Amino acid sequence: MRSCSALGHALTTMGAGLLLTGCLGSVPVPLNGFNQQLEQAGNSREPALSDSWLAVISGRGGREQVLLLNLARQRPVPLPNLNRPDAQPLSVAVDNAGEHLAVVRQLEGRTELVLYRRSLGTVELLPMQPPGVPRQVSLRADGRELAVQVSRNGLWQVDLIQLR
Amino acid sequence: MPLLLSSLVSGCDASWVSFSRRSAGGTGLLDAGSRQDPALSGNGQWLATVIERNGRLSLLLQHQPDGRVVPLRQIRGHQPHSSPTLSWNGRYVAALVQQGNQRLAVIEDRASGRLHRLTLPGERIPVRLSLAPDGQRLAVELMQEGQRRVELLDLTNLLEPDRPAGQAVGEQGR
Repeated sequence: MRSCSALGHALTTMGAGLLLTGCLGSVPVPLNGFNQQLEQAGNSREPALSDSWLAVISGRGGREQVLLLNLARQRPVPLPNLNRPDAQPLSVAVDNAGEHLAVVRQLEGRTELVLYRRSLGTVELLPMQPPGVPRQVSLRADGRELAVQVSRNGLWQVDLIQLR
Repeated sequence: MPLLLSSLVSGCDASWVSFSRRSAGGTGLLDAGSRQDPALSGNGQWLATVIERNGRLSLLLQHQPDGRVVPLRQIRGHQPHSSPTLSWNGRYVAALVQQGNQRLAVIEDRASGRLHRLTLPGERIPVRLSLAPDGQRLAVELMQEGQRRVELLDLTNLLEPDRPAGQAVGEQGR
């Protein structure tokens, strides 16, 4: 393991960019074209990746929104009715088809979990029961289940929600 | 290991979605009171969360829905753990771990037992990870001087695809 670390340090010193080191000696390839497109959107955080889509929270100057990018076309797609100027997204997840997005957002003083269906442009609230404050969300690739981190009585819990 | 289900079922007035819910339930660990950072595998058969174990944030991988805990032999140690993410069948488990004063992104291949280690140049600190279900790409949120930026990496030269059983190469979800 020590020799692997030494290799990683040497490669890093050479300015080779983001490197994967380890005993396999393989290096991942940064997708520079895509990354440059993403950089144009400003800061980005909270990535959620499917085989064909990347969802992030991106923005400039303090205003952030959910962005969904098609990996093959290297550009964002419209998300009608999802992003609101008075909402602050906190976490996002996307299914493999890029059809459903689960979003945790702050809106009008409350934190809520919503499910967005892209083909219909609909946003549905998924209330926390028992009541709690959602924070981090993960969506199963087929969009039929999500896991959400919820704060209840000062404790973090994880709820699994089956979607039909 | 039984999963302690708090099976409350809820209807929804929404026009196109109905749902039922349950708690992710027990971890099998007496001192695991809090859990966070959930990640489902693509097929929904695996759930990764971060729990507090002996005062340290540790990654827990559980089969669903029975809650059976599966050891992560390569990732264990190097706490605190954060930001777990899984491939389709749960073969690959990616997470952020601590090594000395460094945050590292790692990928454990549960089929081969190998650990792939990511190191970042300069001052960039990995904050969050997201692995594509087929394990062929990784999105990394990086922080440098207060700025956050997501970068996408191609892993095709590193990891075999982890796709649904019976799915042909090139027949990915679109």
